[in-house]
Parts: sequence; structure tokens; C-alpha cells
Amino acid sequence: MFYIHSISSISHQLSFQSDGFSEKLFVLDDTSSLEVPDFKDILPPTALRRLSPILKISLTTALECRNKKEFDAIVVGTALGCLQDTEKFLNTIRTSTSETLSPTAFIQSTHNTIGGQISLFLKNHAYNMTHTQNALSFEIALIDAITLLKEGNNNVLVGAADEKIELLEKLRNSIIRSKYPLTSLATFFNLKNDQIENGIVIKDVTVNLNSTIQLGDFIDSFLEKNGIQFNEILKVYHSDCEFINGENTMNYLPYTGLNYSASALATHMAYDELSHNGKGLILIVNNICNNDFGLTLIEKC
Amino acid sequence: MSELKETLKAQIIEQLNLENLTVADIKDDQPLFGDELGLDSIDALEFIVLLEQNYGLKISNPSEGKDIFHSVNTLAAFIEKNKN
Repeated sequence: MFYIHSISSISHQLSFQSDGFSEKLFVLDDTSSLEVPDFKDILPPTALRRLSPILKISLTTALECRNKKEFDAIVVGTALGCLQDTEKFLNTIRTSTSETLSPTAFIQSTHNTIGGQISLFLKNHAYNMTHTQNALSFEIALIDAITLLKEGNNNVLVGAADEKIELLEKLRNSIIRSKYPLTSLATFFNLKNDQIENGIVIKDVTVNLNSTIQLGDFIDSFLEKNGIQFNEILKVYHSDCEFINGENTMNYLPYTGLNYSASALATHMAYDELSHNGKGLILIVNNICNNDFGLTLIEKC
Repeated sequence: MSELKETLKAQIIEQLNLENLTVADIKDDQPLFGDELGLDSIDALEFIVLLEQNYGLKISNPSEGKDIFHSVNTLAAFIEKNKN
């Protein structure tokens, strides 16, 4: 059992420093925007002027999860990385006539810039890993974090972030086909072995890449492995899965928007709901990418 | 020279995204690196890009950078001395 000791999200919902936000979710549309705090109160001037939005929201949510001890590991999942800086850097290469290129966009254009900036800011020299696996990047990062805890570490920062840029909007009706608005978000949490009375745990997480089995069969085998019957689950959060419907289910995409790290925000929603609504299990089903399945089981003890 | 300095200040603000500053906030002899403006080594690299892209000048000896980038005065003097 892996206990969530603190959790933070910045998204298009009112999720930042807002206990109970899962009860006030609203359906997003194309006019929705990131609900950000005043970064001037949180980040130093150098970060304010240099960091792109995905870095600001990732660093801010990561800082919210700090505790007195240095993290044993920082693990990040991101599908598309720092898109804004990637686009800026590529455009500079394309249009520049000089031999030198601006270093800032280059430095900040890699996927592992998120974990790197968190590490730099916290002066943390521990394990620092970024996982990128399309819409399962968060689940893969979570598996890594849990593996680290099983190996004897006890203070892991894990999370996921992805950002929307205008180029993605232009691709929306070609490469990206979705009825949900594109969004930006970052969710980070502090995962530990240390127990909390009535705490909320990540009970298990699994993925199946390029699956040749049906999602329903995959869910059944996951629950069987954990000794759980489907009717024991308080609620199922899913990413617009046709066969999951009924009173105790929720398609989270209308609330997270289409974002490859949406399941990380769904985990925060589940955490928030369990915090306020007694004991039980919530299953988060991620099938944003057709044949890639991610399942996360979260429980209030 | 004073026109060059004003132009340089505007270019520094844009290149380094110092959006909270105006040209009037940067004094000609104010040290650019250190506590006041909070510039660091990445900004020094941005200065190299700024000089090449806007003035066609290259820093041939990196050790000279510290003196050239000391202030708007030293930057302007370097440009005046090396312009075609």
C-alpha cells in the first residue's frame, strides 16, 4: 500500500489549493482556460520570466507536495513534453539566419526539463526520471514510483503534465480527433510507504500496451489479481469508455479535457472524492489511446 | 552612442523576457549580472545570440564575455569598437 501524503493539481478546473474541488467540477469547453495561481507569490523572478506555462504549473504543483525531507526520487510522466518551447526552438532553427540560436528554448524543449527544473529548484540530486508513453505516461511513472518504494525508498514525488499549444488545435480535426477540448494540466503527489490513519493509497496500477485483449477482460483480470469483485468498487472513472456506464461511473474527459496526462488529474479527483465521501475503492480506467490501457486503483483505508 | 544604449536596453528586455522592466529601469553603468537584475549564465548565452543576430558580432574569446557583458556601457562600447 502506497500512501498519498500530499497532492496538487493545476488544470482548467479550480483544482489548485482547493479541497473539495471534485464536488464543483464543471464541463469544459473550447473557451476554458488554465486556472492558475499568482505565480509571483510562488516562483522566483528568473523562473517567472524564463519558464513556459507547463514548467510553471509543474514546478508549482511539485512545490506544494514538498515535505521536510528531501525526495528520494522525482518521477515525471509526460506524453508530449514542453511543447511550447519545442515549437519555439524548431521555428528558430527554421527561420534563423545566424549561426547561434537562443539557448533558453533549446534547454527547455526536452521532455525531462520538467523533472530537471523541479530538481534544480529543490537542489535535489536524487533519482530523476521522465517517462513518455503517450497517454500512459502517468501510469508508467506511477509504476516506477511504486517500484522505488518497494525497493526501500520512502519519499517519492510523482506526477504528470502535458500542455496545449495552438498547433495542437490546428491538428485537432486531422491527427487528433476528439469532441473534448484540448487542455493543459499538471498533477503531482508525494507517495510514501508511511501509513496515515484513514489515509488514501494507490492500491495498484497496471498498463497494457498495444493490447490484444479486450479492455473488459483486462479490468476483470486486474480486479481478480487484487482480490476485488467489480461490485465492491465505489466508483469507476473512465475516459469515455462505451461499455462502462451506470450510476457509479464517471467519464472524466468532459472535466479534464483531452490531455494525455488526464488520468493524473482524475487520480486527484478520486483522491478528493474519497477524502470527503467515506471509505472505498475508485478504479480509474485510462483508454485515451485506443489499444493502450491503464488501470489505477485508489482506496481510502 | 546614447541611441545605441537605449536600443540595447530594449533588446535586452525582449531577449531575456524582462517584462517587468522598462528601458528607463536599466542604468547605463548598472552591473547586468548579480543581484539587481538577477541575470545568470543562460542569460550570458542569450547576450551572445543578441550580439550576433542584431549586430553581426561574435565573441571570439569567451573569457572576454565577462567584461563585455558587464553593463550597457561596456556592451555599447564593444559594439561601437567592432562595428563595420
